[in-house]
Amino acid sequence: MNFPDGLKYTKDHEWARINGNMVTVGITDYAQKELGDVVYVECNDVGTRVEQGGVFGTVESVKAVSELYAPVTGTIVEANKTLEDRPELVNTDCYGDAWMITIELTDPSELDNLMDAGKYEAYVSTESK
Amino acid sequence: MRTPLFDTHVGLNARIVDFHGWEMPVWYTGIKAEHLATRKACGLFDISHMGEIYVSSQGATSFLNHMLTIDIYPMEEGEVKYTFLLNPDGGIIDDLTVYCIKPEDTYMLCVNASNKDKDFKWLVSHNEDLCLLKDKSAHTAMLALQGPHASDILKACLDFDLENIDRFRFRMHTMPEFGDLLISRTGYTGADGVEIFMANEYVIALWNEFVKKGATPCGLGSRDTLRLEMGYPLHGNDIDEHTTPFEARLSFAVDLNKDFFMGKDALIKHKNKGLKKRLTGLELMEKGVPRQGHVCLKGDKEIGVITSGSISPVLNKGIALCYLDSSITEGQQIDILIRNRRVTAIVKRPPFVKG
Repeated sequence: MNFPDGLKYTKDHEWARINGNMVTVGITDYAQKELGDVVYVECNDVGTRVEQGGVFGTVESVKAVSELYAPVTGTIVEANKTLEDRPELVNTDCYGDAWMITIELTDPSELDNLMDAGKYEAYVSTESK
Repeated sequence: MRTPLFDTHVGLNARIVDFHGWEMPVWYTGIKAEHLATRKACGLFDISHMGEIYVSSQGATSFLNHMLTIDIYPMEEGEVKYTFLLNPDGGIIDDLTVYCIKPEDTYMLCVNASNKDKDFKWLVSHNEDLCLLKDKSAHTAMLALQGPHASDILKACLDFDLENIDRFRFRMHTMPEFGDLLISRTGYTGADGVEIFMANEYVIALWNEFVKKGATPCGLGSRDTLRLEMGYPLHGNDIDEHTTPFEARLSFAVDLNKDFFMGKDALIKHKNKGLKKRLTGLELMEKGVPRQGHVCLKGDKEIGVITSGSISPVLNKGIALCYLDSSITEGQQIDILIRNRRVTAIVKRPPFVKG
């Protein structure tokens, strides 16, 4: 399983790519494997606010409906429209083409609450037992 | 509970889930890939969890004719029929297939895994020494081989010609490596192919042989999307003890001409009252995933509920089975309430794709 080094991770299996005060968000390789074939992705509108740990959308596979949780508090400034027609990208390229939203964050100290790749990998190995 | 193929599934990296007490593969590589492999080539399904109840001796025909909705008397050796066990209210205890192994002598009922114990108890409680009932499920394995290439793979592995049996017919076929096989030209996918019953000890070898000759292992996830594309009902979702065969548009499996069968009086009463709702299909016109329990609306009026739903891997759009008010006709547009969003759908009688 893949846990890229440059990203931060949440306990709910989202990843965050930080670029100044812009945080791009998606779900991890572990999450997409657990879900199986993804058939639907829905995110809150651009312009809406999210809280750290709050729901920003829903991802659905054939067998499951899963909520998406924001890694940081802020405003959604971008949403990936490609996932509307190609939800399967979540399974094939979860860290690249299947990015879901970008949040303009309000409180950079919130990033300290996120895990790095090593911590997340350890967390996943206990989750899967 | 595990089928004899459990270790084989684990070896293939199957995602294992609990299915009514059975640890079963829901997918190996992915539901969509397995579904499309069955539509385009050949899928292989371990369905050994299904139940096999043998009904034999002199009273067998009359007992089954009493308990099942279909007429058993005209059945010939090698014939299979789809039918129901009904309760006295006309509700469906289970849907099943009945195999005529020897007329007036031996029949096999293939029943849903989730209902097997309930069905057997029901039959035993009504037997009154008419015939012999044996639950052989624990000793019987079952595979389904389905798809346009199933016939070639069957010929290559078992030297069995599929063209030699009609649909809804079966044959016994003995091979030294695989024992006595009951090969039936039936299935739950809409594709051509067979279901094969055998003793437990041979199923691993036969599975491996089919895979070697090109069959794709398919889990219960794709089994569900395949049957949904055809509009085949699933007991527990689309039919249950509170639904009648007429509401579910399955009257072809009911012989009202029979003098008597369990539930007949109630069915006739329902029919005469007029059916308030009927099982039909929906095809979504917008993005969204229809699921069991989603409410159907016409304007502000609730007109029904979804009993099965998913995304069709062939059509790449949402499809569903639902009970709608009898006044709603095919071709009408209705709304499905998915979480808080109204999603437009068109009423369409299945099948949604060609088998």
